[in-house]
Formats: sequence, structure tokens, C-alpha cells
Amino acid sequence: MKIIYLLEILLIIFLIFIIISKNNLKLIVFFSASSLVSASIYLFLDSPDLALAEVAIGSAIIPLIFIIAISKQRKFLVINNTAFDNERIEYCIYDILKEFTDLYNLKLEIQDSEYDELYGIFRSKNVDLVIEKKKDKYILKGKKTSILMNKLEDMTKGKKDIKVVKVIEGETYD
Amino acid sequence: MKLSIILAFITLLIGIYGLIISKNIIKSIICFNISQGAVVLLFLTFSKEYPSSIPIISENSSNMVDPLPQALMLTTIVIGAAITALALMLSIKIFHYYGTLDWKEFIERNG
Repeated sequence: MKIIYLLEILLIIFLIFIIISKNNLKLIVFFSASSLVSASIYLFLDSPDLALAEVAIGSAIIPLIFIIAISKQRKFLVINNTAFDNERIEYCIYDILKEFTDLYNLKLEIQDSEYDELYGIFRSKNVDLVIEKKKDKYILKGKKTSILMNKLEDMTKGKKDIKVVKVIEGETYD
Repeated sequence: MKLSIILAFITLLIGIYGLIISKNIIKSIICFNISQGAVVLLFLTFSKEYPSSIPIISENSSNMVDPLPQALMLTTIVIGAAITALALMLSIKIFHYYGTLDWKEFIERNG
């Protein structure tokens, strides 16, 4: 009877750690620890079946789903629609994109375009940017609703051979 | 017994407080999970009377705990995992559409 109080105070301490921490990964580790503590509380409240389910689901499966979701959010997918392949494009525009994604803690991934029809690509896939080339000028196309496009526009303001175009999603591609 | 109910209620209040003040969507989803676990704790604490034993029938099972709240709470834990997965999928879509995971930024931007 007394040990339940100690375990509940430990649980409250872990929850306060969750509330005050800023880092996403630390948050998930503290959540996993707190659900282990609550599983042992369920055991002392005479419900071993709930303790079993909480250990399996609360402290293993839910943090796994969180980590998968965070790693999917951090991916910045760029479609290369120019005539060049990825090595040629590297010299002029790769450095800018790399600097941009490092600044916002994202993971850059450039793919060659293998789609004949680019209509509706922003909606169907998680594409963030499309690179095109017209007469010595690189055009970067992105979604108009995204805040990251405004920041990219500010970043490439001084450069003459790069233009940022913001597309309304779903209307038309070009 | 009474102190146990008070501590479980404090857990629920911490979850709701985090849901109110958090700016990050990931943190909001975690605080939702916390308050759900607190509800499970409250149900179990209310249904238990000291002294009692686990709900398995044997020769000397005179005062076993009520098994109905435990069965209900098992359903709650499983459904909570499903709701978490759905909310995280929506948060991935939100990040690729608005470019941020801050509540304040995209509410200011999109009305």
C-alpha cells in the first residue's frame, strides 16, 4: 500500500520532466520510462493483465511509432526535373539546398524525375521542391502554403540565376 | 487510498496542463497520451478496496477486485495506441503542407 504512493510520486516527476523538456527525442524517452512506472502501478492495483498490455503497447510500440513519424517528417524531398543528372546539378544548386536544410535541421534527398506527367505531384507524394531549368535560369517550385518556401526565397534573394516560384497546390502544376 | 486518488488526479491535471500550454504538435500528442493513462489509473484506483486479491478464482479468493473496470481499461489502452498512430500520420501531412509543426505559426498564417 505504501509503495503505490512512492511509484505515483515517481510517475509525477517523470511527467514534469516531459512538460519542461524541449527536445522531441528526450520527450519520447521520458514517456517510455513513465509508462513503465505506470505499468508497475497497475500491477500493485491487482490488475496484471493491464500491466502486461501497458508494457507492450505504452513503452514499446508507441515510442516506436513516434520515432518513425519524426524521421519521416525530417525528410526534404526534391525532384530534379532538369536535363542534367544529380552530379551536374551539384555545383550550382546543391550547396544552397544543403545549407538551407542544415539550417532547419532537415534531411535532404534529391531524386531524378521519373514521372512523365508532373501534374498533381505535390498532392500525391510528399514532394517539397521541384527543380527546373529555363534559359540559364534555375526555377525552384514549391507549395505556397509552406513557410519553408518563404525562408528559401529570403535565402536566394541575391542570386540572379535562381528563381523561387510558389505554386498553389491542386490547381495546376505550371 | 485517499492519497492515491489525489495523486492520480494530479497526473490527469498535468496531462491537461501540457495539452493547453504546448506549442509543438508532437508534445500535444504525448500529453494526450498522458491524460489517457491518468484516466486508466483513476478507474483502477476507484475500483480497488483494501485488502483485495487479483481476479482469479481459486479456493481462497474471498474478496477479489472487480474485473469489469480492468476489461474496459484494456480496451482504452489499445484504442489509445490507434489514435496516436492516426494523429502522428496527420502531423506528417501538416508538416509537409505548412512547413512547420508550431500551432501558433500556422494558425497566424492561415487564419
